[in-house]
Amino acid sequence: MSTTPLIEARGLRKAFGDNEVLKGVDLSADEGTATAIIGPSGSGKTTILRSLNVLEVPDSGTVRIADATVDFGDASVDRSTRRDEVEALRSHSGMVFQSHHLFPHKTVLQNLLEGPVQVQGREVDEATADARRLLEQVGLAGREDQYPSQLSGGQQQRVGIARALALNPEVVLFDEPTSALDPELVGEVLAVIRDLATSGWTLVIVTHEIRFARDVADQVLFLDAGVIAEQGGSEVLRDPQQERTKQFLRRVLEPG
Amino acid sequence: MQQSRRALALVVLSWLVATLALSGGAASAESAGTPAEARTVRVGTEGTYPPFTFHDPDTDELTGFDIEVIRAVADEAGWDLEFVEAPFDSIFPALDAGRVDVIANQITINPEREARYLFSAPYTYSRGVIVTAAGNDDVTTLDDLDGLVAAENETSNWAQVARDAGAEIRAVDQFAQAAELLVQGRVDVVVNDNIAVLDYLASSGSDEIQIVGEAGEEVSRQALTFRQDDPELQQEADDALARLADDGTLADISEDYFGADVTVEDAAEVTDVKGSDTRSTAEVVRGAAWPMLRGLLVYTLPLTAASFAIGLVLALLTALARMSSNRLVQLPARVYISAIRGTPLLVQLFIAFYGLGQIGLTIPPVPAAILALSLNVGGYAAEVIRGSILSVPRGQYEAATTIGMRYPQLMRRIVLPQAARIAVPPLSNTLLSLIKDTSLASVILVPELLRQAVNAASPSADFMPLYLFAALYYWVVCFLVSQAQGPLEKRLGRYAA
Repeated sequence: MSTTPLIEARGLRKAFGDNEVLKGVDLSADEGTATAIIGPSGSGKTTILRSLNVLEVPDSGTVRIADATVDFGDASVDRSTRRDEVEALRSHSGMVFQSHHLFPHKTVLQNLLEGPVQVQGREVDEATADARRLLEQVGLAGREDQYPSQLSGGQQQRVGIARALALNPEVVLFDEPTSALDPELVGEVLAVIRDLATSGWTLVIVTHEIRFARDVADQVLFLDAGVIAEQGGSEVLRDPQQERTKQFLRRVLEPG
Repeated sequence: MQQSRRALALVVLSWLVATLALSGGAASAESAGTPAEARTVRVGTEGTYPPFTFHDPDTDELTGFDIEVIRAVADEAGWDLEFVEAPFDSIFPALDAGRVDVIANQITINPEREARYLFSAPYTYSRGVIVTAAGNDDVTTLDDLDGLVAAENETSNWAQVARDAGAEIRAVDQFAQAAELLVQGRVDVVVNDNIAVLDYLASSGSDEIQIVGEAGEEVSRQALTFRQDDPELQQEADDALARLADDGTLADISEDYFGADVTVEDAAEVTDVKGSDTRSTAEVVRGAAWPMLRGLLVYTLPLTAASFAIGLVLALLTALARMSSNRLVQLPARVYISAIRGTPLLVQLFIAFYGLGQIGLTIPPVPAAILALSLNVGGYAAEVIRGSILSVPRGQYEAATTIGMRYPQLMRRIVLPQAARIAVPPLSNTLLSLIKDTSLASVILVPELLRQAVNAASPSADFMPLYLFAALYYWVVCFLVSQAQGPLEKRLGRYAA
């Protein structure tokens, strides 16, 4: 295992108007690990994740994935250079959204091919073969020619995961991947993610599923009010040290 | 921002290309006007003023006394003729703007016109008459017109005569309309040429209007009209007319149309005109069916298709510019949309045709109509398209961004296909409006469907059946278009659950 982390974020700050959501956050993750970001609503966990692929532009701080770095605090970078930097950074990650955001006018297979063929310029035949393999991996073989609207919520989210994987990224980012699902559909999606974690993908997952995070995560970040309140291995979720973390876990694990 | 600037550049570029293409066409039309071996002379005429200038009911060919005279003149002078048909009140502006070189339309010589134009030697000597609805015995001379309402071509000599007599003028395009207004009791009186009135009476067989007296003592003189900067053409016409008078050609043409020679000063009075169109209403409608269909196929539909296609491209670019976060890109789009939606299409057509012509950008009628109509569609459809694009969820942009797409690709492959489906019903409305709006192009000399109906109505005065027939044509086209809307929506929305 290399000594340099695959993902490294330093001093991320972000304010929406007067509301400072990130107050200087550091994050690093090694290749092949699963990182879970947890915390109460409004703690800034989704903003961190979206900073990693610049769907949210931090006010300052740096983000590096593999060899691509963006220094958001550096105002001297001109616009076209910045755009190139951002595109390079994005090319290292795929993203799974809370409500899948599949392209409704494209079939399942076309959803998977859009990135590899249209953006990366890969051969259609080769990319199609890979896409079919991915669909099989997420349990959706035979659904290639269906439209997203013909699938259940869980199936849609699994297509969303396959679409992110089809880019063959170094990192897959998950933004609350099961929050929009009916409870009985959550399991099938978590099973797929668990599968990815064990087969060596590098994952960063924002989630409310504490038990799932405890099982899967190599690293847990507990975020509170824009700062990382506690950080460590999955023991953070079994035996939290900080009072704030304990409170939060009590609330989510013992509802009522 | 980068992208939106590129979108603006595209808008500007396509504008330039369109403008250059159109003005290039104009330039070549212009060069046809320079003197050469066989000069092409463009003749402005109504085509709706029988028996002087009208369409032969049987062949639909442009014909009439004035048309035969100018053809004879052209033979003598060695001109190639090109006829440009327009409503009377558009003919002088067309001459001013250099769109026609001569007017052959029973233009009466009067001092006001002599101050502005050149006239050939007169080729008609005629009398004006006063016309009222049958049974109206109150009017017999011009003195009785004071305070009455008269229907006339606004810019005609007869309008001036009626105005001078104290009448209030209601503007119409052609004599047949004026006669119809008399019959319907909407105006009191019409002053016009004796021959035109006799022709109308013979064609329509109407006994609902009557000639009640002469409009003054003077014989009026009609002549070919030229621009003041074109004395050469006038001289050629005069030479030709003199020869035609000498060899009896003019007299023959006049005898042929009026049974009398009206081309000399002490002309015999015309008392009997055979009528330019004495057919039954059914025959008139049957005869007009093909010219109207041709107007539909050759002008209305191509005009619609071209204007819609160009308009949609313009609308898309405008919508994208309008959504830009760059104010310098956004502002022109806002101004354009506001200007188009805040002004009448008729005014836009006039500006594209007469306005631009006056500042040196002379565009032929059909391109000018396409220019105005496509700009109009662009302004309206831009807001439709913008609304459709905005209704595509934010997440679609994010998903496309995270798979690495840049703005143009994201728009083309992800957003616009989804927006298209949303835009189809409102854009269908735009298209249906456009089909019908092309009828306005008749005012800038495009001989489209409605113009053909107007042409047919002028000698026959069968307004109701002809306009109903024109309406039927428009309705059929609109019906077919709206029938296509359902399948198109279905196709674009085949992915929806």
